[in-house]
Amino acid sequence: MITSVPQGAILLLLTAPSAAAVLSLIPYAGVSRSAARAGSLLSLGAAVSLLVTAASGRWGPFLGVDALSGILLFTVTSIFATSTWYSERYLRTVHRPYLTPQVYYALLCAFAFTMIAALLFTDLGLMWIGIEATTVSSALLIVLERRPTSVEAAWRYTLIASAGLTIALFALLLLYTDTGTLSTYRLAATPPAITLPVLMAVALALVGYGTKVGLFPMHTWLPDAHSEAPSPISAMFSGVLLPTALYAFLRVYQVLGNPVPAVIRDLLLTFGLVTALVGAFLLQRQRSFKRMFAYSSMEVMGLALTGIAIGGIALYGALILIVAHAFAKSAAFYCAGNVLSGTGTTRIDEVRDLQTRMPRTGAAWVLASLAVTGAPPFGTFLGELLIVVGAIAAGAIWAAALFVLAIFVAFLGVNGQVGRMVFGEATEGTLPATANGDPGSGLAYLNVAFALAIGVSSLPYLSTALRAAAALFGGGAP
Amino acid sequence: MDTAAELVALVGVGILLTALFLQSESFVGPLVRGIALQSLLLGVLLGWLAWSQRSVDLALLAALAVAVRAGLIPWVLDRQIRSFRWRLREVHAAQRVTGHALAAVALAIIAWFVFQETLATIFPQPGGALPFVLLVEGLLMLATRGNTIVQVIGYLEEENAVVYAGALFAPHFPLFVEVVVFLDVLGVVLVGVILSIQRDVTGTPEQGALEELAG
Repeated sequence: MITSVPQGAILLLLTAPSAAAVLSLIPYAGVSRSAARAGSLLSLGAAVSLLVTAASGRWGPFLGVDALSGILLFTVTSIFATSTWYSERYLRTVHRPYLTPQVYYALLCAFAFTMIAALLFTDLGLMWIGIEATTVSSALLIVLERRPTSVEAAWRYTLIASAGLTIALFALLLLYTDTGTLSTYRLAATPPAITLPVLMAVALALVGYGTKVGLFPMHTWLPDAHSEAPSPISAMFSGVLLPTALYAFLRVYQVLGNPVPAVIRDLLLTFGLVTALVGAFLLQRQRSFKRMFAYSSMEVMGLALTGIAIGGIALYGALILIVAHAFAKSAAFYCAGNVLSGTGTTRIDEVRDLQTRMPRTGAAWVLASLAVTGAPPFGTFLGELLIVVGAIAAGAIWAAALFVLAIFVAFLGVNGQVGRMVFGEATEGTLPATANGDPGSGLAYLNVAFALAIGVSSLPYLSTALRAAAALFGGGAP
Repeated sequence: MDTAAELVALVGVGILLTALFLQSESFVGPLVRGIALQSLLLGVLLGWLAWSQRSVDLALLAALAVAVRAGLIPWVLDRQIRSFRWRLREVHAAQRVTGHALAAVALAIIAWFVFQETLATIFPQPGGALPFVLLVEGLLMLATRGNTIVQVIGYLEEENAVVYAGALFAPHFPLFVEVVVFLDVLGVVLVGVILSIQRDVTGTPEQGALEELAG
């Protein structure tokens, strides 16, 4: 057994959320909430310790951590913790919930556990099980608010995501047939020859896992599930579920080594740019603000994939973008949850003048929207800038132009609509935001501040890990 | 081709025929029985492979195919149909069965040729293209049908395709039994939990695109 990695931290990452899931089911008031909070904080602590010690190595044949999984573990557990905290307030505003608080918290912890497990597995088959398990654990959370649209969204999510993951399983079958192993370490140690089955496996993995990432045209579940889920869960969907699925693809992509064959690079570039553009244009015509943010997540995943395809400094930028976006988007969804519980609607045209009706939430929402759409000096801006620079340096001028177009369109769309809701004058058709007052948005401010910190300072440990993660794929920091 | 290989290919063709039948049917009852038959045929094929290769894993996969996808899930679906008359027939699909059937045949031919041109040399097993064709047929069903029960059937067909491919091409794929158990659990969650919630909350399965989910 190789013991170069802190086993205690890995053990804690796996046991804290799973134990919290079990304890949450105890039918005593406050136990489920406390168990979920403790579980999320313990797992965050374990993830931070892995990041600080720059842990890298294996524990037995199936578990391990490196810079890339370390960064995502930190991101997942951070959003898990803030969403758990935010859930308490949000649950109070849900009338006739379909799930009891005990079941809700248990599923929330199980959802986090499945993502953490997927990130810790070093076997592609187990990683696939982890990603598929995220569907099972999260599907029921979507129906919390008992709306027919929620049920339909849960149904579409389960079915489409599972169909995509079946294709990913086909990809793993092809890869195994050609290489005889699914261990990410063995594949990295002895990279397979670039044969047709390996290329097909990577392409099918892109389609399969891409379904869960929300890549066009397999994205159709995404706006439904993200908009219908309760806001803390929407935050986890947009902020960390999509990157976790992208991570699973990256582990398959990694077998190609560096340089990546042109055919696969072009495929990624096409999927990335088309997804970013489709997401950016579709978010313009949304009537629901939660749906608009869902399409924004789709756009950002497209941007990140574009950066990965270009490689080098752009890949480093893509990783920064993914982490900063997770914090910014979760903040945006917490604000969206406040507005929904305050006004009782998700319709953009029914919400106005939040600056006086819900001033704290309104201000946080403006900041979160700017952060989400890559306004300077947030981390998302830095990530997007590096991708553009990388694209130009690689001679992909047309890709850089389309990339900038997607950013520009999404920026105008999201900030224009949020600006109207926050600063627009209240009219007869708009709803008063008095039902639950302005509950404050401390968690949203916290996450926006982190997205800002990524952009304005070289955060210790995180920056080191981001550089190391980019280096795994031949990418580099400036 | 020896007799055993011919048998495997023959059962595979039977599985493909059930897939084409599923595409051309709009009544839900026959669709449920069709997927049960397909899973049963797959179970027979897996059982034969398990016996000929002395493989415990393949025997477990055969048992799962018969017990869960030919038995349990169709039984639950059948009860759903009996409870709710609106689940009897997929109204919109009834008007398009000819188109579905033609599309299914066309896709099967295209998938077959794609396999022959790209992967046939790597997977020379008799009937090697069949799991690939079955996967495409399952995706077609998921993409074109609106009734939730029929979509479950599309999902089960996809699962059958993956199990079929795994048994044929990579019988020693690590954790394959666990993966299939997981897919079956998801299938049971689909039919047992989400269909029940749908019944509780909406009372109808074919409401078309809900306005709020448009766009």
